[in-house]
Amino acid sequence: MLKQIPNLFVRGLLSLTLLAAILGRQSLHAATVEEVALMNRADRQKILVEGAKKEGKLSLYTTLIVDQVVRPVKEAFEKEYPFVQVDFFRGNSERLVQKMMAEYQAKRYEVDIIDGTVSPTMVRRANLLQRFFSPVLAEYPSELKDPQGFWGSTNLYFFATGYNTRIIKPNEAPRTYEDLLNPRWKGQMMWSTSRGSGAPIFIGTILNTMGPEAGKAYLQKLRTQNIAKTTASNRQVLDLTIAGEYPLALHIFNHHAFISKTAGAPVDWIPHEPVTATIQTIALAKNSPHPHAAMLFMDFVMSEKGQKVFQQSNYLPAHPKVPAKQLDLKPGGGRFKRAYYINPDTQYDKGNEWVDYFNNVFVK
Amino acid sequence: MARQRPFEPYDYFLKAGAVRPARRFFAFAASCHFDTAAAVMIAVSLVTAYLVLPPLYSVIQTSLFTTKLTGEIDRFTFSYYSNLFSELRVLGPLLNTIYFSMGSALLATLFGGTIAWLVTRTDTPLRGLGYFTAFASFGTPFILYTIGWLLLLGKAGPVNYWLKTLFTQTGPVINIYSLFGMIFIESLLWSPFVFLMLAAAFRSMDPSLEEASAACGARMWQTMRKVSLKLMLPAFFSVLLLIFIRSFESFEIPALVGLPGDIRVLTTSIYMDAQKLPPQYGSAGAFSVLLMLVVACTLYLYFRVTREGERFQTVTGKGYRPTVIQLGRWRYFAMFGLITYATVLLVLPFLIILWASFLPFYIQPSLDAIGRFTLKNYVTAVHFPKITDSIKNSILLGLGSASAVMVLTLLASWLLVRTKMRGRWLLDILTTLPLLFPGIVMGLAILRFYLFVPIPIYGTLWILLIAFVTRYIPYGIRYTHSGLLQLHRELEEAAYTAGASWSNCMRRIILPLMTPSFLGGWLFIFLLSAKELSMSVLLVSPQTPVVSVAIFELWENAQVGELAAFGVLWTLILVSIAVLYYLFARRYGIQQN
Repeated sequence: MLKQIPNLFVRGLLSLTLLAAILGRQSLHAATVEEVALMNRADRQKILVEGAKKEGKLSLYTTLIVDQVVRPVKEAFEKEYPFVQVDFFRGNSERLVQKMMAEYQAKRYEVDIIDGTVSPTMVRRANLLQRFFSPVLAEYPSELKDPQGFWGSTNLYFFATGYNTRIIKPNEAPRTYEDLLNPRWKGQMMWSTSRGSGAPIFIGTILNTMGPEAGKAYLQKLRTQNIAKTTASNRQVLDLTIAGEYPLALHIFNHHAFISKTAGAPVDWIPHEPVTATIQTIALAKNSPHPHAAMLFMDFVMSEKGQKVFQQSNYLPAHPKVPAKQLDLKPGGGRFKRAYYINPDTQYDKGNEWVDYFNNVFVK
Repeated sequence: MARQRPFEPYDYFLKAGAVRPARRFFAFAASCHFDTAAAVMIAVSLVTAYLVLPPLYSVIQTSLFTTKLTGEIDRFTFSYYSNLFSELRVLGPLLNTIYFSMGSALLATLFGGTIAWLVTRTDTPLRGLGYFTAFASFGTPFILYTIGWLLLLGKAGPVNYWLKTLFTQTGPVINIYSLFGMIFIESLLWSPFVFLMLAAAFRSMDPSLEEASAACGARMWQTMRKVSLKLMLPAFFSVLLLIFIRSFESFEIPALVGLPGDIRVLTTSIYMDAQKLPPQYGSAGAFSVLLMLVVACTLYLYFRVTREGERFQTVTGKGYRPTVIQLGRWRYFAMFGLITYATVLLVLPFLIILWASFLPFYIQPSLDAIGRFTLKNYVTAVHFPKITDSIKNSILLGLGSASAVMVLTLLASWLLVRTKMRGRWLLDILTTLPLLFPGIVMGLAILRFYLFVPIPIYGTLWILLIAFVTRYIPYGIRYTHSGLLQLHRELEEAAYTAGASWSNCMRRIILPLMTPSFLGGWLFIFLLSAKELSMSVLLVSPQTPVVSVAIFELWENAQVGELAAFGVLWTLILVSIAVLYYLFARRYGIQQN
């Protein structure tokens, strides 16, 4: 008899869990995700709050850096809506998409919100996103939101060249794309192979802003400069620049250089006009298990209040009315005027071409 | 509902009218350990097959089908293979891969083998340092070492700085971002592994053959060349093969060291191709299948060599110790070599990481940099999200996978070594297979498998445990197999003659005698799983953080300083586990296997 107890206990527990899972799934799908996502009526906020109270949590698949910004945003949101707990899974774009697609194939709907510069577009092509409406979207310019309502944006990335100020004096640093061709920089530069933030994006900017002919001619010249490559992120490239290994870091995020400089590192950034910019987009999963909570989260991060959290973390808010903490990190802040925004769809559609070009021309 | 009497197995057969054969079968089974062996064989093979076959199936499938945007299997295709071969047509990456893997295998065997020989067969002072270095180095996560050596040997690193002033050169003297740099770092990383495996082999060598050679008037080096080296051939070959396979499929060193220097190997080529969208895993799959074929051929060769080799080996249950070679004056030279090895392998990278951990951003070692020292990185590292959870999870996983692997492989090795059952070769292959999967491929395969089968372990620690156990089966086999080979079967036979059951014999004879290799393997797998990354990175969930992934995230995103601080803390935890084990082993006189 005694021997049977653990067995019975385990069985009971298992069947209870199963039951709970089935019931849970049914109750969540009572109001469709689409209805919640596209809701546009006076009592929207009230309905969302009521729904979110029942849901109690949401799950975010994010490419943002946990320490720097995910945790502050989570804390701010949970302070605003104490009845919702934010669970997050952090990974790079490819990993998030892999995970979400694998889960959807198995019909396991765990994710509510996915973000990234290109990951939302990727899952959208696989038809795994839900269009949504949020009143705050009206405050954003058209290039920072999807015309069909599949994504909004939370923050921006501006690319610049980082340089070691001990090795290169500020007045010697390359000011323009042409300056990078100076024989002095041969073997002195490094960039990341990352599709979303490395050499392929650099190539895309050149081809689009100079035109295909002139752009290719420029890149052929750049090739002879023997730029070192690494699969590590461009943050790592910047660290190697600070350590003096490669005095010039191509295509790093300007706020990374700023943060390190503030900490006292011998590093600074120079913009090359037009500055490449990518957009951190945020989107709703098609079968979001907690749509009410998810919509509250979307509203919050894109609102001025949520955007201030990004600002305080030294990220560059997407909201036009929220400036960067350090003003000159955004266009018009004094250090550069023009930005070339790479739309996530362009990044997706043209990306393979840029990767191929990179592999063919720059990789030996 | 009253049951008259408990169910008896005979009942079924009584009714079926098959009394006598059934009785005979059960009587036989009860008395004879070989049928217990058959049952164990079936159980062990089923468990191993369950662990190993799904990833295998998944790899072959991915290599032969295109996937839709959503990741569903789409069309049959050979294009991944043909692409692979067109990639090979640009012979460069293939040649680089071969140079890199061969070089690393040879150099690692040279490093590890020399140290193993010095430690086990000579009277070099401070021999214990060899074991300590090997165990401690297992504790340090892979990526930390690599960063450490890159910072040390990089263009702006201290080594180049000193060499520059020494030789009054203007440019850097050593270029670490080269094929040689890759081989050097990779072989250093693998040398502790070589050391542990060869030290075991050196110890189990029968000294009578060497003595006979010496008695015939051979000089020491002649004996070494003609007797010792030949005796060690199977062990050397097995180690070379292992390191060759691991380097062939390794990604970290080629990516971190090779790419900046434009040395491209197959794995980095595939990685660069896989940057395309939508993600295609076909080329990685095709690469794995190709790798499996290469390895299968090499393994075949290996088995032939070792079959020859076994004729040389005269391993019995007799207690003996190999003779210790008196090095005379060279003792101190050997000791110096040992210390240098420990310094290069362990102390220097640790010191540079320690240095980095105190700085707000990395500066090359200098006096004025000390003024910037701060503990901020440690504060951040300790506040890293869920740090206690991730440490707890990693230790739990290490304990679980080490225990499961060792029990499973002890049984499997027993079957392979002791029985002559048909179908043993199948078990042999099953337990070798996991060696052939690149970690990332296995991770993806396991992820997909458990999303589809209705076993609810997705997103829990169990899926990580299953992945680890699967991946480390071959390592467990190496330990238990060689351990069992050293036990003469007459010990077991004596137990059976005295009427012991199979389980009794296992528990009271084999397990106690196997303790050294069992514990050695256990620790080895514990440390390996504590730093496993390529599978974990796909299989962790928000609720199940592990240390290696946390470190990897810091590496990807944060600064070297925080990574270094976290790495230092984790290394200290692991090294203290290794030291405890080392003390324990010495206290109880266990020979490290």
